[in-house]
Amino acid sequence: MKGGERGLWAIFRWPVGLGLLTMIGLLAALLGDGPWDALSWLLLAAPLAIGVGGLLRASGSG
Amino acid sequence: MAPRTLRIWAWVHKWTSLVCTLFMLVLCISGLPLIFFDEIDHATGNAIATPAMPAGTPRAPLDAVVRAAVAQHPGKLPLYVFADEHDPDLWLVKLDTRVDTDEREAVFAAVDARSARVLGTPVFNEGLMHFFYRLHVDWFAGQGGRLFLGAMGLLLVLSIVSGVVLYAPFMRKLEFATVRRDRSPQIRWLDLHNLLGIVSLVWALVVGATGIINTWADVILKAWQAEQLAVLRATPGAAAASAPARDGAVQQAVTLALASRPQSRLHLVAFPGTLLATPGHFAVMLAGATPFTARLQEPVLVDAASGRLTQATPRPWTVTALQLSQPLHFGDYGALPLKLIWALLDLLTIVVLWSGLVLWWRKRRRVRAAPRVAGAMTT
Repeated sequence: MKGGERGLWAIFRWPVGLGLLTMIGLLAALLGDGPWDALSWLLLAAPLAIGVGGLLRASGSG
Repeated sequence: MAPRTLRIWAWVHKWTSLVCTLFMLVLCISGLPLIFFDEIDHATGNAIATPAMPAGTPRAPLDAVVRAAVAQHPGKLPLYVFADEHDPDLWLVKLDTRVDTDEREAVFAAVDARSARVLGTPVFNEGLMHFFYRLHVDWFAGQGGRLFLGAMGLLLVLSIVSGVVLYAPFMRKLEFATVRRDRSPQIRWLDLHNLLGIVSLVWALVVGATGIINTWADVILKAWQAEQLAVLRATPGAAAASAPARDGAVQQAVTLALASRPQSRLHLVAFPGTLLATPGHFAVMLAGATPFTARLQEPVLVDAASGRLTQATPRPWTVTALQLSQPLHFGDYGALPLKLIWALLDLLTIVVLWSGLVLWWRKRRRVRAAPRVAGAMTT
């Protein structure tokens, strides 16, 4: 990585992590009910929360 | 990445997005109320309730249920019988003028499973929700509209993939989730577009891809039916003649099918001639007992005339993909919180589409304005 520039891993580690959480979240509710559903909500809430946070910051209230 | 490669990806992202964005905005907006179809149905009092009866009240034979439904809709033929999703004591019978229709004019009868009395005729093909449904599924243009929206879905997938490629050069000098508020509106829109696009990436790909598969439902089921019929024709004695079903044939078909697979539950009965059955057989669709296998149905074919049971050809992978594509597209498989998450991610996707459109429009205006400014300078 040269001065100030970020490598591919630095750029994509968050997106890859959130993508994995999303994928596990989508499958969890399919595989079972009850606790599996709850796990799914929890995991899918992560990308959602970051997105909503960004939206609030962009609109100036966050 | 070489500047030339980057330009090609930028071109792909721009044009795939531009072509599909308006359609995707309509799909996102019309899909929003559809996520809550059941809840809206209940809140508006359209849901049909069965009267309370003592536990263990015996159930009427299915043939009586079907007879009651046909009496309610004279001149119509039964296509499918299935239990209400929330009330196992309620059968829904779908009828139409012919068994091989596209079902756009189909009617329903809701029949009490114990008394075989018709409790109502749910109407699914009128009203605001049906308008949203058709806008979401086929633009009132039948199979052609479906396949067109599927093609727009393919463009969406291309647009998402090219967007991920372009994400890297934009983020070379930025921390994840940066929104530069102190810069121009253009930059703020860009940061928002990149952030929301990347966090909703996997969800949007899954909902997009499963939506595309759903547009192929008819093609997938017809191919399976053709395969089924070819196997039956090749098996001596298995091909059934089209004959009217005797009284008791429906219940017998279900009883036989369930006895052949004791671990399964009844999902749906398809009448001979319909898309899920063959011209001479009932198809009894059985689902597994676990939450996952309940999503996957396997048919047992029962000869309508003789009542003989026939092993159906195993479900091809295309049908498995189709059956799994339904929950993964609708978001209806993890109770109300999952539906709310679906709705919020849908709203984020609307912002991604809108911000993309704004970015394109602003850039275009700037590029058009630039030569004029340069011209004014020289004169």
